[in-house]
Amino acid sequence: MESETQRIALGLRQGDVVVLETLVEQYQYRLVRYLVSLLGRRDGVDDFVQETWLRVLERGRSYDGHSRFEPWLFTVARNIALDAMRKRPMFSLDSNEADGIRSSPAFGEPSPYTLAARTQDAERLAHSLQTLEPVYREALVLRFQEDLSLQEISVIVGAPVSTVASRIYRGLATLRPQFEGDTA
Amino acid sequence: MNIDQHDTFQGMIDESLAGVLSAEKEQSLREHLSSCTTCREYLSASNRVIAGLSGFSFEVNPTLNARVLAALRLQAEEGRGILARGTRTMRQHSVPFKNWAAFAVALSMSFVGSGLVYQIVERLAVPMHFVSAQVQAGVLVFWLLPSLCAALCLLAAPSENRGIA
Repeated sequence: MESETQRIALGLRQGDVVVLETLVEQYQYRLVRYLVSLLGRRDGVDDFVQETWLRVLERGRSYDGHSRFEPWLFTVARNIALDAMRKRPMFSLDSNEADGIRSSPAFGEPSPYTLAARTQDAERLAHSLQTLEPVYREALVLRFQEDLSLQEISVIVGAPVSTVASRIYRGLATLRPQFEGDTA
Repeated sequence: MNIDQHDTFQGMIDESLAGVLSAEKEQSLREHLSSCTTCREYLSASNRVIAGLSGFSFEVNPTLNARVLAALRLQAEEGRGILARGTRTMRQHSVPFKNWAAFAVALSMSFVGSGLVYQIVERLAVPMHFVSAQVQAGVLVFWLLPSLCAALCLLAAPSENRGIA
């Protein structure tokens, strides 16, 4: 019996819109969440989401079905977002960053994390997450929200596993003081 | 317990959360945690961070899915249209076998004829004091190139079979 990933790969190879519709329904929220973590802002994300799915339709043949679909999807989304950030002045780009990710909400725009916080712990983290280096935030989200392995994250961000691990440790170290000395 | 030991075990806690700690070290860490309040607090704070990360719920624009699906369907239709047009164009621009055959015959005659013409002109050229290079240039310009052009014209000539949709 063919596995789920092979079924997806076959559908993408054939440009099967029905398969794509199922994938959109299944992964849309996670794609939005990942792009917000990457960009640190909510506006513009919908355009990247749409562009990502169109790219999936266009280049779906390159997904071989041997690995999970999410890392491949996030890699496509990441490439689109980074390309746009390099081209568009609306996204500030700090060339000192290792891989060019540097973004924040537009002036006067509320942080997407403040708006999306649903628990007390999330509210405490919102500000720190917004100011956290995007590469650390991205690594934390991919590891602890998307439940990806370090190897999978390494493929998405195009960095060695050791670098990904280091980003996770540093991200945790930056956010941990919010809860240190708290016995709750 | 000294600070270095805490640092070591806290590093192991980070590795454990990242999913890269070996089973042996996991066991060692568990034993340490049972007796170390400082490292337990470190783990607890780390777990609060991870739990906090799950406490965000981003609103997805309710029209986004419909917009994406419409764009996908449109692109898929366009893709199929381009494919169909491409096939049709290839058919329209394909050269029928008859023209290829005529071109091949004309090409052969052009080269064979050039050889014959060259030999004749070379013999005639001796009494007229033409050098070999002049003979070659003459055959090239006045025989070979025109005959090649004629062969190419045969290839491009309209055929009854052309323009099949």
